Amino acid sequence: MIIYRLRSLSGFLISLTLVMLLAGCASSPKWPEQTAAGSTATIHKRTLLRSVPFYPQERYQCGPASLAMMLNARGVETNPEILKELVYLPGAKGSLRVELVAGARSHGMLVYELDGTLENLLSEVAAGNPVLVMQNLGFNWWPQWHFAVVIGFDPEERHIILHTDTRERHEQNLTVFNKTWSRAERWSAVVMKPDQLPATAKPLNYLMAANDLETTGRTFAAMTAYRTAEAQWPDQPAAPMGQGNISYSQADWTTAVEHYQRMTERFPEVAPGWYNLSQALDRADCPSQAREAASCAATLAPGRFDAPSDQAQKTSPSDNNSCPVIRCPKPVNQ
Amino acid sequence: MQTIRKNLRHVSFFLAILMAMTTVWSSAATADVIGTGELLTEQRVDLDRESLLNMLEQQEVKDKLADMGVSQEVVEERIQNLTPSELAEFEQQLAQAEVGEGVVGIIVLFLLVFIITDMLCATNLFSFINCIR
Repeated sequence: MIIYRLRSLSGFLISLTLVMLLAGCASSPKWPEQTAAGSTATIHKRTLLRSVPFYPQERYQCGPASLAMMLNARGVETNPEILKELVYLPGAKGSLRVELVAGARSHGMLVYELDGTLENLLSEVAAGNPVLVMQNLGFNWWPQWHFAVVIGFDPEERHIILHTDTRERHEQNLTVFNKTWSRAERWSAVVMKPDQLPATAKPLNYLMAANDLETTGRTFAAMTAYRTAEAQWPDQPAAPMGQGNISYSQADWTTAVEHYQRMTERFPEVAPGWYNLSQALDRADCPSQAREAASCAATLAPGRFDAPSDQAQKTSPSDNNSCPVIRCPKPVNQ
Repeated sequence: MQTIRKNLRHVSFFLAILMAMTTVWSSAATADVIGTGELLTEQRVDLDRESLLNMLEQQEVKDKLADMGVSQEVVEERIQNLTPSELAEFEQQLAQAEVGEGVVGIIVLFLLVFIITDMLCATNLFSFINCIR
């Protein structure tokens, strides 16, 4: 009985896989109907970003050339020759995607990966942002990876305009582009100065990209990106928290306290904010306020944060005058 | 050979210590606050869970679940218990699915995961599946 059931299940699985494979072949790309939400630029008229410079690639070096175009477009002075040291692997005769991303980041730029829809790719170009794309010019079973920069499109001709290999402003048929792009998981990214938002940016994804800057030590750029995010999306607690964490890591305790306070005022229900605030207050020589904040965190998330112990209370009677007043959020009525 | 091996042991010991220390140093500065990345991951998980729960609210999904004799509460509870990586997988499928086929696609995926975990005796959602062990 069990065997019979297993067999029918495996039959189901096989047919499902077949359907998925066939679905992959059958898709013929359509020009997207509408622009991504929030962006005003149109994707229905011919667009060409003329200001993006072009570098013809040398043998196997589409990575450094593409990165140089992306960075130049943002005003970073560099060229493929310099970038070769950073992102080209002679042994592999190519560059890795992660290296290109890290290479852009090391110039203080925020790398925002797009979601892989044609609609969003075109929206970014329409908004003036060249898009770095990965393509597989070979087969799935014998890949030939390639990087290129999308700098325009023509909806009437159904063309994607690329700076690619040795061809400047090469107009590629949408079907060809879509196929080669899909074989590379439709990877695409924009490179932004940290004070500018991509046209199709989503809050969490953007903040994660900003966090990548933070964790790779691009502190100044990360700070700017968090600030940009906070201005655009006031409803995201990670934006002020990121600024607080950067100040904290720089041992700038009072500034960290300010950021965390702003966070807890706006998002009183987010326990990590109270916890970080308590840590910063403690360092800023405000022990009793720190205990108050810690107890807020413990009340909100009892399984995660411990309540401050009573013993510490007795040993710290004095506080400095510049300490803020801490008030825990009122418990939600239950 | 023997001496090389002996020396190597010292070298690797030294390297191990060095590596351990550098790891500690680099994280020491911010180890006592919750990292921004950690908060972002939590939020992403919440968002994924929410969008999956929203799918269950659609009539088409309700009908399908009713057809198969699975109660909505059970599935909701199961979603609450999914790990972040399982959720991320669903979310990915959700994003890749075309607008029209989205609902059915998710159901199929759902069933695949639950049928397989049922077979491995990790869960017990479907009465028609006997677990392997």
